[in-house]
Amino acid sequence: MKEKLEQILKNAQSEIEKCDDVKSLDEVRVKYLGKQGELTSILRNMKEIPPEERKMVGMLANSVREQVEKALGDKNSILEEEALAESMEKEKIDITMPGIGVKRGALHPLTRFNNKFMDICVEMGFTVIQGPEIDTDYYNFEALNVPKNHPARDMQDSLYITDNILLRTQTSNMQVHAMEELKPPFKIVCPGRVYRNDDDSSHSPIFNQFEALVVDENVGLKDLMKMIDIILKRLFGENVKMRVRPSYFPFTEPSIEIDATCQMCQGKGCSLCKGTGLSEVFGAGVVNPKVLEMSGIDSKKYSGFAFGPGIDRSVMVTNKIPNIKYLFRNDMRFLKQLR
Amino acid sequence: MKISYNFLKDFVDINVSPEELAEKLSTSGFEVEEVIYQNEHLHDVYVGKITKMEKHKDADKLQVCTVDVGSKTVQIITSATNVFEGAVVPVSLEGADLCNGVKIKPTNFRGVESDGMFCSGEELGIDENYIEGGGVNGILILPNSMKIGEKIEDALLLNDIVFDINITPNRPDCNSVIGIAREISAIYNLPMKEIDYSFNTCGENVNDYISVDVKTKKCPRYMAAYVKDLKLTRSPLWMRSRLFACGIKPINTIVDITNYILLEQGQPMHAFEYKHLSGKKIIVRDAKKGEKIAVLNGNTYELDENDMVIADSEKPVVIAGVIGGVNSCVEPNTTETVFECAVFDLKSVRLTSRKIGVSTDSSLRYSKGVYVDTPICALKRALHFVDKLGAGKIVNGIIDKCSVKTKKRSFTASMSRIDRILGVKIERDRVLQILNSLGLNATLSGDNLHVEPPYYREDIECENDIAEELIRIYGYDVYNNLDGEAFENSSVTIGAYEPRLVFENNLKNELVDFGFYETLNYSLYSSTACEKLLINDERKNVIKIANPISEELSTVRTVMAHALLLDIKFNLSVGNKDLRFFEVGRIYLPKSLPLTELPVENNRLSIAVCEDGYNFFMLKNVVGNLLITTSLNYKLVRSTEPYLHNGMSADIIAEDGKKVGYFGKIHPKVLKNYDISHDVYYAELDTDYLSSLKEKTYSVKEVSKFAEVERDIAVVVDEDVTNEQISSAIKSACGKLFNGVTLFDVYRSDSLGENKKSLAYKIHLLNEEKTMTADEINAVINKVLKSLEYRYKAKLRA
Repeated sequence: MKEKLEQILKNAQSEIEKCDDVKSLDEVRVKYLGKQGELTSILRNMKEIPPEERKMVGMLANSVREQVEKALGDKNSILEEEALAESMEKEKIDITMPGIGVKRGALHPLTRFNNKFMDICVEMGFTVIQGPEIDTDYYNFEALNVPKNHPARDMQDSLYITDNILLRTQTSNMQVHAMEELKPPFKIVCPGRVYRNDDDSSHSPIFNQFEALVVDENVGLKDLMKMIDIILKRLFGENVKMRVRPSYFPFTEPSIEIDATCQMCQGKGCSLCKGTGLSEVFGAGVVNPKVLEMSGIDSKKYSGFAFGPGIDRSVMVTNKIPNIKYLFRNDMRFLKQLR
Repeated sequence: MKISYNFLKDFVDINVSPEELAEKLSTSGFEVEEVIYQNEHLHDVYVGKITKMEKHKDADKLQVCTVDVGSKTVQIITSATNVFEGAVVPVSLEGADLCNGVKIKPTNFRGVESDGMFCSGEELGIDENYIEGGGVNGILILPNSMKIGEKIEDALLLNDIVFDINITPNRPDCNSVIGIAREISAIYNLPMKEIDYSFNTCGENVNDYISVDVKTKKCPRYMAAYVKDLKLTRSPLWMRSRLFACGIKPINTIVDITNYILLEQGQPMHAFEYKHLSGKKIIVRDAKKGEKIAVLNGNTYELDENDMVIADSEKPVVIAGVIGGVNSCVEPNTTETVFECAVFDLKSVRLTSRKIGVSTDSSLRYSKGVYVDTPICALKRALHFVDKLGAGKIVNGIIDKCSVKTKKRSFTASMSRIDRILGVKIERDRVLQILNSLGLNATLSGDNLHVEPPYYREDIECENDIAEELIRIYGYDVYNNLDGEAFENSSVTIGAYEPRLVFENNLKNELVDFGFYETLNYSLYSSTACEKLLINDERKNVIKIANPISEELSTVRTVMAHALLLDIKFNLSVGNKDLRFFEVGRIYLPKSLPLTELPVENNRLSIAVCEDGYNFFMLKNVVGNLLITTSLNYKLVRSTEPYLHNGMSADIIAEDGKKVGYFGKIHPKVLKNYDISHDVYYAELDTDYLSSLKEKTYSVKEVSKFAEVERDIAVVVDEDVTNEQISSAIKSACGKLFNGVTLFDVYRSDSLGENKKSLAYKIHLLNEEKTMTADEINAVINKVLKSLEYRYKAKLRA
């Protein structure tokens, strides 16, 4: 009997080993462990075994059954794994096919730049405000220390609506509105459109500026310089180089212009920066005390500084846009590149 | 403003590289836009002498010349006919790269080597005005006196370097060599050289020859001098060289002197032809209305009272400060002249110059401002050159009509306030040194800084001005290495966005997720925009630009749609498809016309889609999703927008009755007006209104323990029954059990009958207290169907 059981185990193991699908494995199971199975019938006919052998045969038979069951189970797992792997292999798809659903569009690069700039300013304690694009001569010029016939008016040819009302030529009109409406100390920044009577290959009649103004006790050129340093690094990276040039704006004194590493050529020199590797990014300066006084701020107590970048050029260079006219052309072939 | 380096060296001993000087000037407030090397195309060109000439044995028209170029003898083949043995000529040798683009290399002419080429004036970038023979059609024959072998740039004084400097409007004094020289003297702490203003006169009295009468307030000073026995020749080469380098055409000694003074002193001058001054009189007056004058540019201009002229006893001879009349200037045969050295009101000169469209070196300088004290030195300096160059005899006396008293200005500033403006304390010795080198005559006692600005520094008025002078010379580099942070000594402020910008940014980002592209359009457009959009309401009242750039940019926009339709048209025209655009921008609505007060500026979001398969409901979904995050309660009504399709458009009406937006299909007529052959869907929202709403708040109900049940029904109704009618009937029929309804299918077919449609709804039911039985559900659905049948004759679709 012992030999028979060992033979059964050997046969079963060998047949299980040969199975290559779940069905034939099941047949093996039925053959040995089914109701009429070889092992089952031995177990069922235990009482026919002489009592002195019964215990030994019983233990052996049970052990054989366990071993056969384990072999069946193991083989079954292997076959299931294989079957799953095979069916998944059949389900394989071309992962290079496109995604399905609405494709994201894009913000205009100008908006992205504006948002970045505003974020930097807000983090530094500035409040973003906006104001009129059509304004009076007073806010655009007079109150900024640019009286009628001032030579500085030649620097910016204006688009007039009436003698007294014009499309603002600079966001600096917001300096005056802010000084009239807010009590120092304040820090404001105003993004917006400005208009000039100028339309050629390198100028748009409409473009975008930022105006930032700080009025407080004890602020001056050092604060301005330190702040611009932070802003430039945030905008263009830690390695940005800057150059300060004294300049002239009627509403600031001292006035400066800030050149920074040309982002088109990364300072190597290109046609845009005329080979200098630097391009102008900000006009800035300490607010002229006359301007503070005109707007009712005590210039003995308070001082201020202002700065303003022209946005369009920075947007151009940071996105390597070859022509300023692209910014308003809304050509999908342009916009799609900015997703 | 072009400034010659050689000219500068007359006044200050500066000897640094042009690049370094340019950088220094730029970082001191005088932006050098370009450094021009006059000799850029003159290298490898020398003064040579033709020692021998013989005919080329194989070419009739060629001559073989032996030429002494100092260091060696070369052979040059030439076809020029104006050269001869013994002639001194410019010789370009291997490596030369001439002004007309010709590059020189040794060449073989029919078996004979040529080491280079003789040059014409043109090839050297000069003309007859610069040097005799410079304009001939042939080789430039140089004077015999020239040193053989000398570089041509040195021999012809074409070795200058010119700085093109951007002079800011606050520094009119620096529209002159002397002004820039003063700056260099301050920057490098070098002394200014003495300037020679001396001259000899021949006696007599200027008043015997000419009288000056100033009859206008717009001429604060008029100075005049008289010179006789003129010998008009070319001015010396060094003078021509300076003029030429700065782009001024040399003419003759007297005219060149006036132009030289213009460059050197920044003072425009005029030299009158004396014999054409009727009555020996100069009258400075306002022009008469309708008065005409023919001027040197060949045109005749009609003037009025706002213009100013220099007249003689009969007629206007010069438009003051702008341009001379014909016959007003010295001519080759002139023997007597009157020098004018005057100050004219800058506004007057600028307005006249603009009005007649004539801009001259003189008008440009007057427009920027010439100081009342400038003519004194300028006229003396001019007479100095007349004397020095032997151009004529100067009659004793200078006429000076000056109506403005100039007085020495001085003020006291607080040094500690200047420190505060700068945020950095400059050593006091250095402060005084800088200010004094700028001629500000500064003294310091305690905190009091006393300055006496010279007449040419009217821009120095207060502490801020002094702070600027100090820091621009001291150098902004100081801040690079300065410890400390921004705002160390000032208040903390909390930053914030304007709420509308935050709102608009959210909408923008949402639209981008929906596949839209942001566009930017000009807020100016053509006056025909409203007409094309069929607009006939108050938006027709547009603001017009008084001085528009073009018709296309003549009108301030009152509608957003125009620009987006043009964008779509443009994109279609270049073959772009699937266009989903939006723009956030402003419209400008006048309160009255013509504008007496500022208009209302209204911020809008506009959306346009041109895409195959797009429809009204897709756009409605976009608009709905944009609005759902707001607290807006709105209803939709049929739109009254004239440029939208009447049947396929809706206005969005807020609870207060305000129309806060609209959307729909663009009217077919409008599409035609824009020449667009595809359907376009358009939406617009008032972001001022929407961002002013209070923030949306939420109040969440407990989630039910019991499951929701869904039942689908399809009913057939007449075409004019709306989804809204059916949906609300379903809602009311369901009563408390109602938990939502969605239309999921619309079906039309002949079998339904004419003018009929089938609407399929999914009804969501929920009993908050127990699980519903099938009987309960059927009862509700039956109630719904009965109600629909009763109200809208709806039949359950079989």
